[in-house]
Amino acid sequence: MTVTSYTERPRRSKVDDGADALSVPWSRPLPRRSRVSARVVSAITILMVLAVWTVSARLQLVSPVFLPSPVAVWNKFVVVARDGFVDAKLLQHIAASLWRVFAALIVAIVVGVPIGLAIGVSTIGRGLFDPLLEFLRPIPPLAYLPLIIIWFGIGEPSKILVIAVAMLAPVALSTASGVRGVSQERINAARSLGATQRQVIRHVTLPSALPSILTGLRIALGAGWSTLVAAELVAATRGLGFMIQSAAQFLVTDVVVMGILVIAAIAFVLEFIIRRIERVLVPWAGRE
Amino acid sequence: MTHLVLDQVSVHYDGQPAPAVERVSIDIAKDDFVVLVGRSGCGKTSLLNVAAGLVQPVRGRATIGGRPITAPGSDRAVVFQNDALFPWLTARENVAFALRLRGVGAAERARTADDLLALVKLDGAGDKRIWELSGGMRQRVGLARALAAEPQFLLLDEPLGALDALTRERMQTTLLDLWTASQVGVLMVTHGIDEALVLATRIIVLAPGPGRVVRSFEAGFSRRYAAGEAIRSIKADPAFAAARGELTDAIFEGEAA
Repeated sequence: MTVTSYTERPRRSKVDDGADALSVPWSRPLPRRSRVSARVVSAITILMVLAVWTVSARLQLVSPVFLPSPVAVWNKFVVVARDGFVDAKLLQHIAASLWRVFAALIVAIVVGVPIGLAIGVSTIGRGLFDPLLEFLRPIPPLAYLPLIIIWFGIGEPSKILVIAVAMLAPVALSTASGVRGVSQERINAARSLGATQRQVIRHVTLPSALPSILTGLRIALGAGWSTLVAAELVAATRGLGFMIQSAAQFLVTDVVVMGILVIAAIAFVLEFIIRRIERVLVPWAGRE
Repeated sequence: MTHLVLDQVSVHYDGQPAPAVERVSIDIAKDDFVVLVGRSGCGKTSLLNVAAGLVQPVRGRATIGGRPITAPGSDRAVVFQNDALFPWLTARENVAFALRLRGVGAAERARTADDLLALVKLDGAGDKRIWELSGGMRQRVGLARALAAEPQFLLLDEPLGALDALTRERMQTTLLDLWTASQVGVLMVTHGIDEALVLATRIIVLAPGPGRVVRSFEAGFSRRYAAGEAIRSIKADPAFAAARGELTDAIFEGEAA
């Protein structure tokens, strides 16, 4: 099974157990010099893309219908933010999409974490849920979207469900891999201090798996945003995905490009926030 | 007085051709400090795990106060070589873990934990995170955490194995101080010959293939420490050197020099 692929962080192996954990190589921050230069390169890359885009739009190498200039996209951003597009302002589109993604995330956590726990803790749980998740994981959202609409209608619950289904596997599998990685010594120590099975799970297994669960949430958010457009294909009146599709139908390319950039920006901000949350919630990760 | 007894215990792990331990008997009273020594693969840790209730013997009986040991319990708190502390908790919260499991209130928990931290000479380190502590400090937290469970016996699985030599010596006196102060029986596994001599009231020498007892020594050096003699003067005693020679011989008995 491919469960382990969801854990990004290097797990500490027995061999690396030095007397002084602070000297473990990956507990040290990267040398400052290399980090700055990577940022500079990234900035240059972005500027280059913008430059090529501007020049080719200015020289009309491609028709503005296909490639609007950055200035046109920016102007459209201002206009849509102020006056709206397809009967809703930009903020309302963003709010609708954010609400769907986060409602789906909560559903995925409420369902996925216990499933992951069951897979990681018990053989029966693994036998029960592993095949279901492996079945669900590779199916593209657009494939099961019709079925969900047939079953649950075209309302808001269907849209949230489509996104939640896409988020379920990453959340559950990351939880399972975190649970399986809990050190046996830690569990034994807790049991010898008088912890019951239930207390071990609550006080040792879950906190130990938390870094891995948070990684799962990050992957799930990525999956959620990529499913958003599919979820807003049918009977939506608001949302970034809906806005982009409506614009595409009328060949309003500048709104399409603007929508893509807004989604990218939101995903970037969310990623940043989750990393912050990780630093607050699991400061020990990687330097135990 | 409560005794922790292993009676003719054999351990045989699934899938292993030979037993890890065969017919070993150990009787630990509450004022004993029993140390298991021996070469790798002699079943020291297996025996400790039987006493902890983490491993079930295939033959023989393990009892505490006459009751059979079937599962881990807070009357036998274990300290492992790798501290096995919880990095999401502070040092104080780690120590208070056993109290929290029992539903003791927050204020009393903190008070008891701070007392225990002072006992292992970590006063004022209660708010420290685990990764901010050195290896020796972590083992002190581990010891305090085990004591918080109010065990009758402490089971120590090479608790000083990962420490440097100087820290190790300081921890040995801490262990002795705890043992004299807290009235718990101790079963400890170690590789260190001097460590065994300094700490033990009884040293049990095991040999591998399968794990069995080859010698059992009564050692009086830790009682002398408890009576007030300094570690340095104990180690300078010719009797200490003689005992070390005898113990070394027993460990490597039958092995080609």
